[in-house]
Amino acid sequence: MIRILFIVTLIGWSIQLGAQSLDTLSGTADEVVVTATRTERKLSNVAVPVIIVSNKIIERAGSLRLKDILQEQTGLFITNGFGAGVQLQGLSPDYTLILIDGEPLVGRTAGVLDLNRLNVGNIKKIEIVKGPGSSLYGSEAMAGVINIITEKPAGTKLDAGLRYGTYNTFDALTNASYKKGAFSASGHMNYYRTDGFSIRPFTVERTVAPLNRFTQQWQFGYSFSTKTKFTVSFRNATEQITNELGVTNNGVITYSKGREENKDVNINPVLTHQFNDRVKTILRLYNTTFSSLQELNTTGNTLYSDYLWHQFNRIENQTDYQASKNLQLTFGAGQVNEYVRSTRYDNVNNKRSNDVTYGFTQADWIINTWLTVIGGLRYDDNRLYAAALSPKLALRAKLNTKLFVNASVGRGFKAPDFRQLYLNFTNTAAGGYSVYGSLEAQKVINELNRLGQIESLEADFYRLTNLQPEQSTGWNIGIQWLPEKSWKFNVNLFRNDITNLIDSRLVAYKKGGSQIFSYLNVRNAVTQGAELELLYQLNKYWQVQAGYQLLYTADLAQLNEIKAGRVFTRDAGGFSRLMKRSEYFGLPNRSRHMANMKIGYEHPKNWFANLRAIYRSKWAVNDIDGNGLFNSNDGFANGMLLVNISAGKKWKNNLQTQVGIDNLSDYTDVFNLPNMPGRQYYLRINYTIIQNKNK
Amino acid sequence: MKHLVKGVVVIMLMGAFVACSKKDSNGDTQVLAAVTVNDLPADTIIGVSPNGQPYGSGRFTLYSLERNQVVSNVDSNTNKWDIGFRGTTVITNSGTGGPGMGGGFVFVGTFDNLKSVPTDSTIRVDAAPSAYAITNGSNRGWYVYNPTANLVTPIPGRVLVIRTGTGKFAKVEILNYYRGGVTLPASASDDEKTRKQRFYTFRFVYQSNGSKNF
Repeated sequence: MIRILFIVTLIGWSIQLGAQSLDTLSGTADEVVVTATRTERKLSNVAVPVIIVSNKIIERAGSLRLKDILQEQTGLFITNGFGAGVQLQGLSPDYTLILIDGEPLVGRTAGVLDLNRLNVGNIKKIEIVKGPGSSLYGSEAMAGVINIITEKPAGTKLDAGLRYGTYNTFDALTNASYKKGAFSASGHMNYYRTDGFSIRPFTVERTVAPLNRFTQQWQFGYSFSTKTKFTVSFRNATEQITNELGVTNNGVITYSKGREENKDVNINPVLTHQFNDRVKTILRLYNTTFSSLQELNTTGNTLYSDYLWHQFNRIENQTDYQASKNLQLTFGAGQVNEYVRSTRYDNVNNKRSNDVTYGFTQADWIINTWLTVIGGLRYDDNRLYAAALSPKLALRAKLNTKLFVNASVGRGFKAPDFRQLYLNFTNTAAGGYSVYGSLEAQKVINELNRLGQIESLEADFYRLTNLQPEQSTGWNIGIQWLPEKSWKFNVNLFRNDITNLIDSRLVAYKKGGSQIFSYLNVRNAVTQGAELELLYQLNKYWQVQAGYQLLYTADLAQLNEIKAGRVFTRDAGGFSRLMKRSEYFGLPNRSRHMANMKIGYEHPKNWFANLRAIYRSKWAVNDIDGNGLFNSNDGFANGMLLVNISAGKKWKNNLQTQVGIDNLSDYTDVFNLPNMPGRQYYLRINYTIIQNKNK
Repeated sequence: MKHLVKGVVVIMLMGAFVACSKKDSNGDTQVLAAVTVNDLPADTIIGVSPNGQPYGSGRFTLYSLERNQVVSNVDSNTNKWDIGFRGTTVITNSGTGGPGMGGGFVFVGTFDNLKSVPTDSTIRVDAAPSAYAITNGSNRGWYVYNPTANLVTPIPGRVLVIRTGTGKFAKVEILNYYRGGVTLPASASDDEKTRKQRFYTFRFVYQSNGSKNF
């Protein structure tokens, strides 16, 4: 099978200095956040943990793909199965909602939305809101929401940039903006290509295959009056990946060619109307289609072909009402229609669909000079699954001018996805096994049973019912402390209690022994920990920023088994012994400690340099002792340190140049991080052709 | 994969005696010695089919726990053997397995803590192909197969209670499934995983007096 591939390139991070230097750390600087409350709100008034990554941070450093910049943020762990996913507060990538300008992206593979699909060349800022966001955003916002806010048309400008680096990685982009009277327009184009690489010796196959990606986004705006505005955005991204594989069978190597093509189209018209000082309404339409084709060919024969087509349509209205000086109310409602076709289901021509109707409300109440309360509630009525009710309550207290406390609790959910309902997959190799979605499983197994092809039905077969949404309750309690102008300190404690997790279970055996799996709501888990962030402005030139996350996770069924004395491991002699609670490591692919440190230097004459280090402690990858969970006797990936550096200068003639080295120490881990390349160098040039004059 | 392991393996097994035995004041209870058997081949791989599936000769390796030795397949239709191994399938001398008085089940717990067969336990008999006394299949009986790593690992804390061909009791802990008694790393080649699999290392205690106490 073709791997879903990604390029780990670079970089990027830089530091803003001078007057607004404290902007880089979430907390007090008065940047505007929209994702946390769906209304524009000063960061200093937001009661939940938020990270804002500004375009300056991204641009100056020259990150190329979304993954590059997210991996440098505190508490974000980039996973590498089925593309680069983001793990937030210990929850898998499935549970973080990814938005562009407030609209969701579709096209997840095994729950992962590949962050390499997104380029960062026209991003104004990225808002990362941690903790359940389902009270505003519905499904998927269990761990948090990442909202990518693109540059809006502003003034008249034109610029272009080129970047070239190791593995013939080449990136070209241009941004244009035009504004005249009531009309505005902007365009963004980006081309990215790489040779890919292999850090596995002696293989033809590249762990990251040669690929090219093209992205364009066009936005148009028209103001009918000062009160009414219409905007429409078109985005189109394509990705082509090719790879050669050598498959050895009985000593004969067969060369095959893999090909993958992904397309992403988004259309988003938005009408905004301000009725008066108090009432503003927004009508949003959204259509997105993702299609993906993967093929494996050997001398003309297609060995394997996989196709996925996923369309998501939405209409939504949101109305904000300023009831009084201290009370803002938000009301919203919408309808989603989703369609999926795939070779992974019984018939590729069979279009599967789902509809969701939802409503939400939020009250944002400034009780007095030191206390603000935000309460929200959302109801999602789902045609295929049970409905979900998602409340949230958040408080922010200003204890004094230097000390703030935030506390929030909310419910998050994720509706079962199409794969968990309709998957119809049989692997004929490796002994043979099948996986069916929960709706498909009962149908198929009953039919096989009628034909006498079922050997035995397992207990879990009888538990197959309609899937329920997966749910979580998330708690966040944080303190922000600003002892002096040059110091900033954030602490946040979090806990997520997750129930009804969907997992695959063995439900039947076919005659001949091959196994049949399906999906059930069977698991409960907990993640908890602490995040720390620190910012220190040494002087006019130097700034240090550090972040740390401590994380504990557990599968509750596993904990119960351990407590009941039914979990064992082996001693050095290979004999079984009872496993102790203290040996339990929790969920796999999670590091207990993650840290980052960024040191930035900025010279008044437009020079800058920075060093960014990212650390993650060991994470469990392999259940070596066979007891079905991860404990200290099992296989771990080594803890790792990644160091990136970069430096640049802005010249007088509208030219900017930058050089950088990623993965300075050339750290690689062939087995556990096959997608992470070794040391890479790059050079970047940006040129402003038309300077913005009438902003 | 091209590596063939010859069908008949002449290896033999070292019985390593570990425990000591002593008598209590009454003289009727004995702490029985545990015996370890290393690298017992169990239908090792002799070839690979055109579609890539490795295969063996298809024969069970039959073992007498009473005499601590391999029993020839010629004697398969007698009660001379107590336990048989073929790949991950473990049979007892009972039901479809053989004509003896055997049977067994998988006990959850440690080897040392199994001091006597619990009175409420059911001794199962073999009913191939779906219901062996020692339940077959990944994560159902004594082992788990990890398809990502392509490795078979005995589940810790699983003891096979075996009623022998002659109706005596024994307890068996399977320690490893690979030659040398060490599970290969996940990073080992599939070729090596194929060549070295189906070699059992196990320890057992045999109770000759007919009681269910060990």
